[in-house]
Amino acid sequence: MTSLSFELTIGILKIFSFVVPVLVSVALLVYLERKVLGAVQLRKGPNVVGPFGILQSFADVLKLLTKENLLPSSSNKFLFIFAPMLTLILSLIAWAVIPISSTYVIANLNIGILYLFAVSSFGVYGVIIAGWASNSKYPFLGALRSAAQMISYEVSIGFVIITVLICVGSLNLIDIVESQKNMWFAIPLLPMFVIFIISALAETNRLPFDLPEDEATLVAGFFTEYSSISFGLFFLAEYANMILMSSLTVILFLGGWYPPIDIFPLNAIPGIFWFVIKVFLILFVFLWVRATFPRYRYDQLMRLGWKIFLPFTLIWVVITSAFLFYFGLLPN
Amino acid sequence: MFLVGSFFLFAAFLITTCIFVIFSKNPVNSVLFLVLAFLNSTFLFILIGAEFVGIILAIVYIGAVAILFLFVVMMLDIQITTLMFNIKRYIPLALLFAGIILAEIIYLTVFKTSKENLDTFIRTKNNTEQIGDVLYTEYFIDFQLSGIVLLLAMIGAIVLTHVYRPTIKRQNIESQNSTTAEDRVKLVKIKSGEGIKDD
Repeated sequence: MTSLSFELTIGILKIFSFVVPVLVSVALLVYLERKVLGAVQLRKGPNVVGPFGILQSFADVLKLLTKENLLPSSSNKFLFIFAPMLTLILSLIAWAVIPISSTYVIANLNIGILYLFAVSSFGVYGVIIAGWASNSKYPFLGALRSAAQMISYEVSIGFVIITVLICVGSLNLIDIVESQKNMWFAIPLLPMFVIFIISALAETNRLPFDLPEDEATLVAGFFTEYSSISFGLFFLAEYANMILMSSLTVILFLGGWYPPIDIFPLNAIPGIFWFVIKVFLILFVFLWVRATFPRYRYDQLMRLGWKIFLPFTLIWVVITSAFLFYFGLLPN
Repeated sequence: MFLVGSFFLFAAFLITTCIFVIFSKNPVNSVLFLVLAFLNSTFLFILIGAEFVGIILAIVYIGAVAILFLFVVMMLDIQITTLMFNIKRYIPLALLFAGIILAEIIYLTVFKTSKENLDTFIRTKNNTEQIGDVLYTEYFIDFQLSGIVLLLAMIGAIVLTHVYRPTIKRQNIESQNSTTAEDRVKLVKIKSGEGIKDD
């Protein structure tokens, strides 16, 4: 009995060791986003709260917590409150299978990548339930857009993952990283890497694909009716999802916790450091894209997903598997 | 003990959610309960050690099919009373399908599998590898045929619903992208007192 409670305690501590850093880095990511946007647009960004304005997002969270939570009178109350919780829960439970070093992971599933794919495809429920339960026009339109968009880009994400899996021969995330010890998949599978990053932008509803929350046409999209902490949960979930998709990119294409070159001063540094640096770089690309590109029109978004990415990734799966088969490189 | 307990827990949840799917007044709630039912069957698959089948069920049915259901049902403007009235019409058909599925389950569980067989099947190998071993070798024809059936259903649905409307204005992306400034803007020098000549 003692060993069971001991394991339970260790398990809970492990979960906290993932969830707390994720939530803190969400706050820092929001700060980073505002600083990067400020720098790109030749402004200063937040610089008043705390040293260099670093406490700005914590102040914002506190402000959100103290505000009144409004419930629209014609909404479906239960689903209206449930939707932001679901979104945040889904963006946090995915961290259960993310390995940040060859030994440190909460659950080492042998179908880890499928679990991640499933959880990220559930993410659309939070958005669509929020839009429907608000019983209001703009959120509803936002929900419809988001449902169509996320389904479309999941298809290309699925094919990209299949290409990587063909090269690895395992669905386990640790195996996927360990097979990149000598060569990161970003180099041989460069087109897939680019498509994955673009699809990740669409999957997390980030600019230039943030049509579900397009403020120019839909006020705020699916969370128009949300206020206070329920808005805050959506906000947290969006940024947690960004960090999650960046970690997934790092695991699939950038060799997880491995250093760029396996030589002495680099491989002496602990793996978690490399992992965080790579996630940070991908996140910077997310913010950079946001500052650079204008928003897509909806038909352009659909065209890109179905008429360009889907055929391209499909053909690339065939090419990759034919190449590996012909040269006898298929993993057994 | 733990496994048996969780089996009964998830099975009970599954049946409860299925009942709610049928008797919910609001069709959107029905679809959401359907999602819960899919989730519980995923757990049941994982409990018997078929984690690949379970997760694929979750990805395909919860991640795609149910979202499209929800997408369509949300946009329908349904009068709830007429819906409840119509439900009695489908009972004979529903009973027929339920009977067929029950017969299949009884046939498979009683006559086709033995328990020892099932246990060795699960324990020997990781079930993703097991499926990979037989899917494209032993069951190649069946797999391709089911793919063709699905493709036919998709094409059929598109043919039935797609109406070609020549009056709709479409955008030609290639022509838009290949446009240059010269095609759209013309600089004209105007002499004072003459205005622009139309050409």
